[in-house]
Amino acid sequence: MPNQSPPTRYSAVAQAFHWIIAALIVTQFTLGWTAEFLPLGARKLARLDWHKSFGMTILTLAVLRLLWRLFNRPPELPAGMTAIEKKLARAAHVLFYVLLFVMPLTGWMMSSAKNYSVSWFHQFTWPNLIGPNEQAFNLLRTTHDTLSWLLFALALLHILAALKHHFWNKDDVLKRMLPFTKTEKRS
Amino acid sequence: MKKFALVTSSLIIAAATAAAADGSAASYTADAAQSRLEFFGVQAGAEFKGVFHKFTSSVDFAPDALAGSKIDVQIDMNSVDSMDKDRDTTIRGKDVFDVAHNPTAHYATKTITKTAAGFAAVGALTLHGVTKDVPIEFQFTPAGGGAKLSGSAKLNRLEFGVGQGDWKSTDTVGDAVKINFSLVLKPKS
Repeated sequence: MPNQSPPTRYSAVAQAFHWIIAALIVTQFTLGWTAEFLPLGARKLARLDWHKSFGMTILTLAVLRLLWRLFNRPPELPAGMTAIEKKLARAAHVLFYVLLFVMPLTGWMMSSAKNYSVSWFHQFTWPNLIGPNEQAFNLLRTTHDTLSWLLFALALLHILAALKHHFWNKDDVLKRMLPFTKTEKRS
Repeated sequence: MKKFALVTSSLIIAAATAAAADGSAASYTADAAQSRLEFFGVQAGAEFKGVFHKFTSSVDFAPDALAGSKIDVQIDMNSVDSMDKDRDTTIRGKDVFDVAHNPTAHYATKTITKTAAGFAAVGALTLHGVTKDVPIEFQFTPAGGGAKLSGSAKLNRLEFGVGQGDWKSTDTVGDAVKINFSLVLKPKS
């Protein structure tokens, strides 16, 4: 494998990680921010219950995805991109990976600090990361909320960049992450 | 006169013999600082723990005088602490404990029996204005002049109407609640 030339498309595994996590993040953003504006009560708890279960699912997928990524090369960025563009693209992808861990971890710590342990779809309970602490909770909540907007902005940038590559640069950057499409062999 | 004295003394002897054979329960109160009363509920699929900081206990107990033994606990429902202010406010509120109308809960045993592991009792629990029998299991360990009485119980909160409105549903907050207690007993002066 080490001597193989880089692939031209993202593999089925990479695509599955990308699209499943993307769908979960959209779900999380919706659940999280609609729960935020509900009054304290059973409905809010139920919504956050789903939010936490999905969040822990994302964290688990993030661990698997990172491990998988360490042993599998992604396709290379188009040759037409400048060095600075490539650097920025890589930085954006690194930031995505960082947020894939930091978002669930700050959420998990928030729950621990509030002494509301995290269940995974009522199947089992994750251990608390820290003890009950109101100050820590408030700080973690601000962090979690703020980073959710950073993630939103990054996702928006990511989508716009993919569309720009597809429609403006007319390269295969978008298509190689899409299932059921073919990318032409690059010369 | 002689006959009366005889009857009286035989009665005294009989009573003393009965007491000796049956033992008699010693009276204790619980040391508030060292005693614990905890409950465990399930919320959003995960267990959480709460405690009551204020409760008073009066215990008459002797392992060989169970008929005369009794455990009586009075709980200040306002002293509930689940280590989260928001949850505590909700628990004290009208849909859960409704402490404004039911500031105290009370438990008093009716019967105590010996079991393989220790003792079992059935007592009346008045919680949220509803009285129902709740069984408990406990161990009694004499220590110094006092004793330690620790054990557990299980109850279903909805049988006591704890959880109205949204909180009636068991999807988010489970019906079953576990209770652990540990009373450090000192002889009653």
